[in-house]
Amino acid sequence: MTASPPIGRVVATELKPSTPHQFHFWTARESPIGIGAIVRVEEGSRVVYGVVTDGFAYSDLTSPLHAVLGSEGDPSLAATEPTARAEIRLYTAAVLRQLPEEPLQPVPLGSVWLASDTDVISALRMDGYTGRERATGIPVGLYAAGGLESPVYLDCDFLLGPEAAHLNITGVSGLATKTSAVEFLLGSIFQTFPPHKGSVAAVCFNVKGPDLCFLDQPATLNPEDLRQYARLGLTPKPFDIVRYYAPLKPDGVNLNTLRTNEALSGNTEPLVWGLREVLDYAEVVLNRDDIDAKADAFIDFLAERVVGREYLDEMLRTKPFMVQSFADLEEFFRRIFDFMEALGKGGEVWRTHHIATIRKVRNRLSNISTRSKGLVTDDGVSNDLPWGSFADRSVYVIDVAGLDPLAQDLVFARVVSKLREHLERRDLGVDHVVVFVDELNKYAPADGPDTYVRKMLLDLSERGRYLGLVLFSAQQFRSQVQRRVVGNAGTGIYGRMDGDELATAGYATLSPATKIKLATLPKGELMLRHPHFTQPIFVKFPRPSVLNSREGIERFPPAAELPFPDAVARQLRQLDRKVSSEAVRELIEGRHEEDVRRALAATRRERPVDAYSYFTACLGRRIAGEMVGTRRGIPALKQVDDSYGS
Amino acid sequence: MKLDGIRRALGTSGVAVARAVPDWSSRRLEDASIKPGHLVEGTHLEGIPVGQAESWPEPLAYLDGVQRSEIVGYVGTSPIIVAEIAAAVRERRRRQLHTVVEERRHLAVGRPHALAAAAGALGNLELVPLPDDEPVHPARDLARAAQAVDQRRGALEIVVGHRYRDRSDGWLVVDGPLTESPRWAADARTVGVCRSHSVLPFIGADLDCYLRLPAGHRSSIYEPGTRSLAPVRAWALRLWPWEGQDLLHGLVRIEVAPTQGLSESANRISRWLMAERVPVTAPDRRWDCLLYGIHSVEQYLRTRAV
Repeated sequence: MTASPPIGRVVATELKPSTPHQFHFWTARESPIGIGAIVRVEEGSRVVYGVVTDGFAYSDLTSPLHAVLGSEGDPSLAATEPTARAEIRLYTAAVLRQLPEEPLQPVPLGSVWLASDTDVISALRMDGYTGRERATGIPVGLYAAGGLESPVYLDCDFLLGPEAAHLNITGVSGLATKTSAVEFLLGSIFQTFPPHKGSVAAVCFNVKGPDLCFLDQPATLNPEDLRQYARLGLTPKPFDIVRYYAPLKPDGVNLNTLRTNEALSGNTEPLVWGLREVLDYAEVVLNRDDIDAKADAFIDFLAERVVGREYLDEMLRTKPFMVQSFADLEEFFRRIFDFMEALGKGGEVWRTHHIATIRKVRNRLSNISTRSKGLVTDDGVSNDLPWGSFADRSVYVIDVAGLDPLAQDLVFARVVSKLREHLERRDLGVDHVVVFVDELNKYAPADGPDTYVRKMLLDLSERGRYLGLVLFSAQQFRSQVQRRVVGNAGTGIYGRMDGDELATAGYATLSPATKIKLATLPKGELMLRHPHFTQPIFVKFPRPSVLNSREGIERFPPAAELPFPDAVARQLRQLDRKVSSEAVRELIEGRHEEDVRRALAATRRERPVDAYSYFTACLGRRIAGEMVGTRRGIPALKQVDDSYGS
Repeated sequence: MKLDGIRRALGTSGVAVARAVPDWSSRRLEDASIKPGHLVEGTHLEGIPVGQAESWPEPLAYLDGVQRSEIVGYVGTSPIIVAEIAAAVRERRRRQLHTVVEERRHLAVGRPHALAAAAGALGNLELVPLPDDEPVHPARDLARAAQAVDQRRGALEIVVGHRYRDRSDGWLVVDGPLTESPRWAADARTVGVCRSHSVLPFIGADLDCYLRLPAGHRSSIYEPGTRSLAPVRAWALRLWPWEGQDLLHGLVRIEVAPTQGLSESANRISRWLMAERVPVTAPDRRWDCLLYGIHSVEQYLRTRAV
């Protein structure tokens, strides 16, 4: 272990003493030590591992004035001094681990060596979860210093639960930190997640541009990347099973995503929800002022008594209501308002619900169907994630980049809630799900209203690990995210950081040198916190083995938005490649677009062998759901005593 | 030096333990005097500009020694002094100084009867008996001890210097006069740099000229009158302007072997020494005359004191 010569020596003075958590050592002027380097101190039977957190250099010059004097005020003469001044390289290191761990004592004044592979494993306590029978190590990157390069592993018990969980990534945009790190780490998890831990899948929300749109496409990696993959014991390959979900555009047939290139259409499908799916998460679309017991009670009434079942109220209509779509719900509301209008004076309350409450709920729900047209369908036919049949090592990407923020919240809330429900029942299809959310500061901001999504994220971060529901989140500025959400992330990744961000209180524990290093981190390097590591560690990681967004867009440019008939034909071609645009155009000529959309949705849901014939048949008959006439508007209220005020 | 153990042992052997550092502990003793020198360049002393500073050809080495003394006890009224002397040569290669020769000794100095009484406590220290020809006088004994330590340190420097010369023929700058060693005094590549002007070589107008040299000037070459053991050539060199400072500010005396005592050599060596003014050794109070290499040897020896 000590065959190589030491590179430094611990030094302790009254002003700079060694403590059980910190020590100082000096090295020769030329040494491989840098900020973040891991070192080993040996003295007698005690071994101490530390990570360099700060460095100092100074000479025997006590005043700059002496230097000025020596070179007679001419800086160019300073370089010609025949003898170089005595100069010290002094480093401060934070203790990572002491062996033996007890009694915990100040670091002895021993020799210092650069850590070897074995030392890194021991220093980061990775010996506890790697290299044993039921190992739980997940390669996360390479620690490199002084020509040495050692793989660093995360403990999946602490990354995906149950001991700790969640990952948060911070870093400025455009420097291959957030998305790249997640893509690489997910790949690593999928390849090395231990069999005894069960199965794992990922749900990724693509919130901007084409970031996650090409996870199934291989990247072109350079030899250095390939070498790093080999060093980490990983195979550089794209994800085997990836399914993309994107809402439709308002026309109901074109996908609202940048992944519309026909070559990629095989695993890209629409995400369409109906009334049932929305109503369960109505709280998301209600703002803070709306949330009250009365509105809640009325929504519960709708969900439990009206939607999706026969509801008869002879005062409203002799025929039972069968509310399955927003159109049906609109009809239901209209009947209520008509009834109350007819009552005249005293017609403020229907079934204990005040008309103002009913009106508010109606407005909010119809608002979501308007603002999220394409995600929310009027006709009740939905297309959703494969709840209950999630596949092991599969990635489900939900592209919400083109959605209205309200609709993004809705998607987010519903998907996470459904994941939680299924994981609680253990019927999702996998044991663990990683949910990746970028721009966390938008969904769980430090300031601002306490929204449903924020509460849900908090709940996920605090209780998800018991269920196997793990949050991988990212944002540019950690300080702008709700503290408890990021605080619950057992593992933290920090890419290049903005100086202003580093000046915030959350980074107060980092040394100035570590901050400088963070502020200047090159691409592909990051700082890592993990429960087993008592100090942050710098690692580098290879480029993800999936196509990045820029190359992906160049290689698979999005298809132009097609006219309605061509878009329908394209969707049918995904089910049956023989379907021609001409035939579809001829078939739907003169049909109402709503009819065509219903037929298309039915075909998509059924996935018949002969898609064209099935589609034709659907068009030929009346599809479930009924046309809603032009909205007549809600009659104005008479003068009533409105307990909600204006 | 770890003297606590010695003091404990002295206490158990009936010696009165003392704890004092004499004021000459770490410096050399000198008496002010005038010993006329003999001019060998020109007919009267003058200040000669040496020209632009020039880098010394490598390798260049520096030799210096340090000493430190402490009174550890009294046998009756006879003091026992423990001293550490050390000397080293640090050689400059590519602007970096490296120690190439080093020697260190530990001495016990005192009257013979005092040393005998304390022998058990002094362990392996090298015993240096003081003359026993006069009645005991603690102050005089201390002065004699200082002289003895100083001589031993000087002798150690010579040993170290010779060892360096045995392994290298590079230039060697010695802190102090060359005449302690005839071998140095004859060595064409050894230069003595003396900061002390206790002994002055001139009087009258020549002394005026000698002590009021402008910066970057040297005096005419002379042969010091005190150097009977090993004749050398010498000149004064003003490293830094003295105006506004003390008369001796930045003034050093250079000693070389007679073969180097020619005008051209004196100018060249002076130019080299002018370049050695930097890095300055401030805040050492001797910075105006203390070359960085010498300072470095001192620092090295002091930090390695046992």
